[in-house]
Amino acid sequence: MPATPVYIVGSPRPQVGKTLVARLLSEFLLLKNGRVTSFDINLKEPSLLDYLPDVTETADVIDTYGKMQLMDRIIVDDGLSKVIDLGYHAFDEFFKMSDQIGFLKEAARRNVAPIILFVADIDRTSARAHEMLKLQIPPSNLIVIDNEYVVRGELPDAMSHGRVLRITALPTFLKTYIDRLTFSFTGYLRQEKDSSTELHQWIRRNYFMFRELELNLILQKS
Amino acid sequence: MFAPKQDWEQPAAMVGGVEGIDMAKPAVIVVGADKGGVGKTTVSRTLLDYFNANSVPTRAFDTESPRGTLKRFHPDITEIVDMTTTSDQMKIFDTLNTASPSVTVIDVRAGLLSPALASLRDIGFLDAAKSGQITFAVFHILGPSIASLDEIAETANFMSGAKYFLVKNFINDTQFFQWDQATYNSYFHRIKDATDLVIPKLNEMAYEQVEVASVPFLKFVANKGPRDEAANYSFVLRGYVRHWLANVWSEFDRIKLTDIVGSGKAVPRSSEK
Repeated sequence: MPATPVYIVGSPRPQVGKTLVARLLSEFLLLKNGRVTSFDINLKEPSLLDYLPDVTETADVIDTYGKMQLMDRIIVDDGLSKVIDLGYHAFDEFFKMSDQIGFLKEAARRNVAPIILFVADIDRTSARAHEMLKLQIPPSNLIVIDNEYVVRGELPDAMSHGRVLRITALPTFLKTYIDRLTFSFTGYLRQEKDSSTELHQWIRRNYFMFRELELNLILQKS
Repeated sequence: MFAPKQDWEQPAAMVGGVEGIDMAKPAVIVVGADKGGVGKTTVSRTLLDYFNANSVPTRAFDTESPRGTLKRFHPDITEIVDMTTTSDQMKIFDTLNTASPSVTVIDVRAGLLSPALASLRDIGFLDAAKSGQITFAVFHILGPSIASLDEIAETANFMSGAKYFLVKNFINDTQFFQWDQATYNSYFHRIKDATDLVIPKLNEMAYEQVEVASVPFLKFVANKGPRDEAANYSFVLRGYVRHWLANVWSEFDRIKLTDIVGSGKAVPRSSEK
């Protein structure tokens, strides 16, 4: 049986594209598997819940009860892929808690595969957070997201050695277009007949990247 | 009334067996404080779990007579006694050499620590410990008040021959006056050979869930019910308990508790794997 993936999209910085990545990934998994459960721990930023209300639940890691509600759901090997949009304010607490409760060990025991998608930035807070993650997360479970719109150049050296997924920047007018709450990436692929458009190719490229990620997961398990 | 002459009044080499043969000395660990609500039973429970994990046969006495909290969590090895009565004192101390577990943990009810130690002195137990016939350790659980710290001086009078551990139980955000070195030193450096132990704070919900489950911490971590049946405790709460218990046990490892009770080195424990 392939492991149940849990994608945790996070960064200690606001406005770096976490919700964009979580949206893309959730829509990809919904298209591929027909179902996904996403969790929005992102109360202070543009929220995944606003974009994908049908598949998204809110969660928090402020108190123990909130942590139980979230973690007891994502530790279950039910074959249902999960995506967590982890807001910057909850980043430290989430990983502190997951370290304390032995989340990764228990996940491995239960055939659950946590994949941490760390959305990079070039500031010191991000560098420190990445260092912390490297100490806590095995390299195969830690992936750096190089969002060209945010990084605008080379990734910091320390972040470029492991696995990196690159999301190319869209022109501003297209970014504004995809930021609309009613916009759906899969909906666009279905409706737009012209597959040569920049947005069409951008979405397909990102979906292809996520498909590779899923395949890697299956290969790792086998 | 005094109990009859005990085995531990014999020469050390004779205790527990034939002269010249090295038998394990009985070990008695008293967990107490003169204040209530400082975590005596919690510490006793961690000790019983620690010895269980290290395969050290242990029995326990709960002096919260008639209703024992410790017995609720460890019913198979715990007996409720009234330490103020001679018959129950005999039940504990007359059986030290005959009972198969070599380690005896006594959870002393609030307010009874000093009287209990005085009784032990009166029956010659402290002298036996002093002469090395018995291993005797006291875990004195400290509360976050000066009154609690004042007990240290009172208890210290009985401590020659015993291993004395001052247990700072961080049941809340108390600092034990570490921010005031003069006050801190006046209490914590008063007794030579006393060793500090730190019990970190356990997440409140996790603690309450274990209370509700009425199982030892070890069983809770292993997701088991009172009769070893599969349970369904929260993964998060089990994780918090596992993390906390590992920290507590690392303190017990630090003071070489298994060596103190004469059972050799701590073994790798399944709950830490």
